[in-house]
Amino acid sequence: MADAAAAAALLKKEFSEAVLAMASIHGISWLRIQTDQVPLLVHYLHAKPDVRGSLSLLWAVDHRPREARYEVLYLFTLAERQDWLLLSTELSDETRLFRSITPHIHAAQWYEREIRDMFGLIPQGHPDLRRLVRHEHWPKGTHPLKKDFAWDQVLGRQQGEYRFRHIEGEGVFEAPVGPIHAGIIEPGHFRFSVAGEPILQLEVRHFWKHRGVEKLFEQRTLIDAVPLAERVSGDTSVGHGLAYCQAVEMMMGMTVPRRGRYLRSLFLELERIHNHLGDVGAICNDTAYTLAHAHCGRMKERIMQLNDRLTGSRFLRGVLTVGGVTRGLAALQFDEIVAELDQIEKDFSELESIIFANASLADRLETTGVLTERTARDHVVTGVIGRASGIDRDIRRDRPFAAYDELPVNVALYQYGDVRARLRVRIDEIHESIRLIREIRRKIPAGPIAVEPSRVPNPGEWGLSAVEGWRGEILYYVMAGENGCIHRCKVRDPSFVNWPAIQWAVQGNIIPDFPLINKSFNLSYAGNDL
Amino acid sequence: MFRILKKSLKTGVVTGRYPSAVQPAEQIAAGAREKADPFGRSLTIREVDTGSCNACEMEMNALTNSVYDIERFGIHVAASPRHADALVVTGPVTVNMERALKDVYKQTPDPKLVIALGDCAINCGLFKGSYAVTGPVERHIPVDVRIPGCPPRPAEILKVLSELRGGDDRQ
Ligand code: SF4
Repeated sequence: MADAAAAAALLKKEFSEAVLAMASIHGISWLRIQTDQVPLLVHYLHAKPDVRGSLSLLWAVDHRPREARYEVLYLFTLAERQDWLLLSTELSDETRLFRSITPHIHAAQWYEREIRDMFGLIPQGHPDLRRLVRHEHWPKGTHPLKKDFAWDQVLGRQQGEYRFRHIEGEGVFEAPVGPIHAGIIEPGHFRFSVAGEPILQLEVRHFWKHRGVEKLFEQRTLIDAVPLAERVSGDTSVGHGLAYCQAVEMMMGMTVPRRGRYLRSLFLELERIHNHLGDVGAICNDTAYTLAHAHCGRMKERIMQLNDRLTGSRFLRGVLTVGGVTRGLAALQFDEIVAELDQIEKDFSELESIIFANASLADRLETTGVLTERTARDHVVTGVIGRASGIDRDIRRDRPFAAYDELPVNVALYQYGDVRARLRVRIDEIHESIRLIREIRRKIPAGPIAVEPSRVPNPGEWGLSAVEGWRGEILYYVMAGENGCIHRCKVRDPSFVNWPAIQWAVQGNIIPDFPLINKSFNLSYAGNDL
Repeated sequence: MFRILKKSLKTGVVTGRYPSAVQPAEQIAAGAREKADPFGRSLTIREVDTGSCNACEMEMNALTNSVYDIERFGIHVAASPRHADALVVTGPVTVNMERALKDVYKQTPDPKLVIALGDCAINCGLFKGSYAVTGPVERHIPVDVRIPGCPPRPAEILKVLSELRGGDDRQ
């Protein structure tokens, strides 16, 4: 079994009753399924050995006012060739029920709770229907992504309490941490159950930073929403901006000129380097190894200043636009970038040999916070965290975007899934990104850097895109509304799938190691909460 | 050991290697400097994120790296609001963080300063009007100092903070 078209044909054959329609849109195979047959079908898709679809995204669309229906969509990535297969099912605007697939596919659990909160559609058979995005003080019946919910309304307040999972027994204590933490970090709540030192259970309670991003997208036009995408998770400005632009370009059938695509890869790699440098330092810092932190902080700052000199933004904001990029760099600037990176790579390599010669550091990192490959797969964990647990996936290689079709990427892969493995992946990726940028300078063609959007898309047209940001796979689904506005924009930061996995990685570890494990994941709260 | 020393010697002093702030820091209200007076030449700040995109946090964190080394100005980052002279607030204040912000404000001993960092904290930025946002910060607690930018550069933040404590931002 190979590609999505074959898998779609197979499903059609096996479940001819359940499959209502079949098509290929923008090269993505798509099947429309009868609502009550969805669990059966996805189970087959997920479990069949030569297909092995893993759930990449699950989201809903409210088609009102154009059509009185909801749609629930399931994006699967097939094991072998990383092909996408899109399933969808329709609900009339009267029904509020759809069948949960969480009992079959664990990775669906947060997505379905999110749909329940944002659309008021209830996943029947879901084992955990507590609120996820909406905190308990939100009034009943508040479902912000429904089209009859005004984006700027003022929410009332009600009483309510989130029920954490409890473990009972002799000597079991609960330790609540957050939402506000000691350092300069984002807010989130962690509830530990401990017996003595070891952690029995961790439950994360997030969404403190929920700003209504997806609803805000719907107030914008397709062209002017790029700044909002850049501010979904500030440390991933390029990653999110790029994923957004690509989705719109797919919808409109635009082809970005080659030079523009090379520049996009350049900016994405710069973002990867400065974030990974920061993480390497921060992981060391959480073992009280401040020397490495100081050196990494200094190198990271050099890249941020380089970004600022190149583009006027330390976070590379404003460089992306639908159709290409806004900054064409001069040859001289490429020399500057590569000269700077040459120095930093030498600098960093020296530091690396110091870091790995330190036995007490190794002692803290090894076997700490192990995320097994099995758990990682069950959560469809992505990016650095997945690659440290043996999941050989990197969108840059598997589903090339920007200029990666001409820039083959060597993917870092480790098996142990501990803090050390996550550190190693980052270190390898810093070197790889520097190598890629040298390649980019060598190969970048002359020519235009952007094209103008040639038409206004019809309402209902959509695009879907994936970008391997420095954390992992960023997904965007954008659907056009009237007059070039956005009808729906689904944003998926890698943190959304990786947060549930951290709950498993800490089990059996001691609370003082949690900050270290958390740092080695370094997930975004803003990107998760939206 | 030898390797570590060699590395440090080779690296030399990097503190101060940053371009000066370009934006004029005229955002300090008249009363704010007097309010900062009791703290003398030092200032202990507590950072509160009320829904930022996290870029503002990253720049606050950058202030503690060896290039900006904010501690050399007597500015410390405290782990608890009870130890703080000033709150630095980022983000547009989400409905879920509103309570937490007010609590932190109450827990910070008087006299205290509130610094709104970034466009979001000042006027909610791109998140203005959203059902999930109840800010800006000054709707909930009094704000003394505003540092605009999205995000403001570390040098710009440093400039304002050092002016508050009555010094300049280079020494
Ligand atoms: S001001 Fe800009 S950088 Fe700061 S939190 Fe808001 S969007 Fe992010």
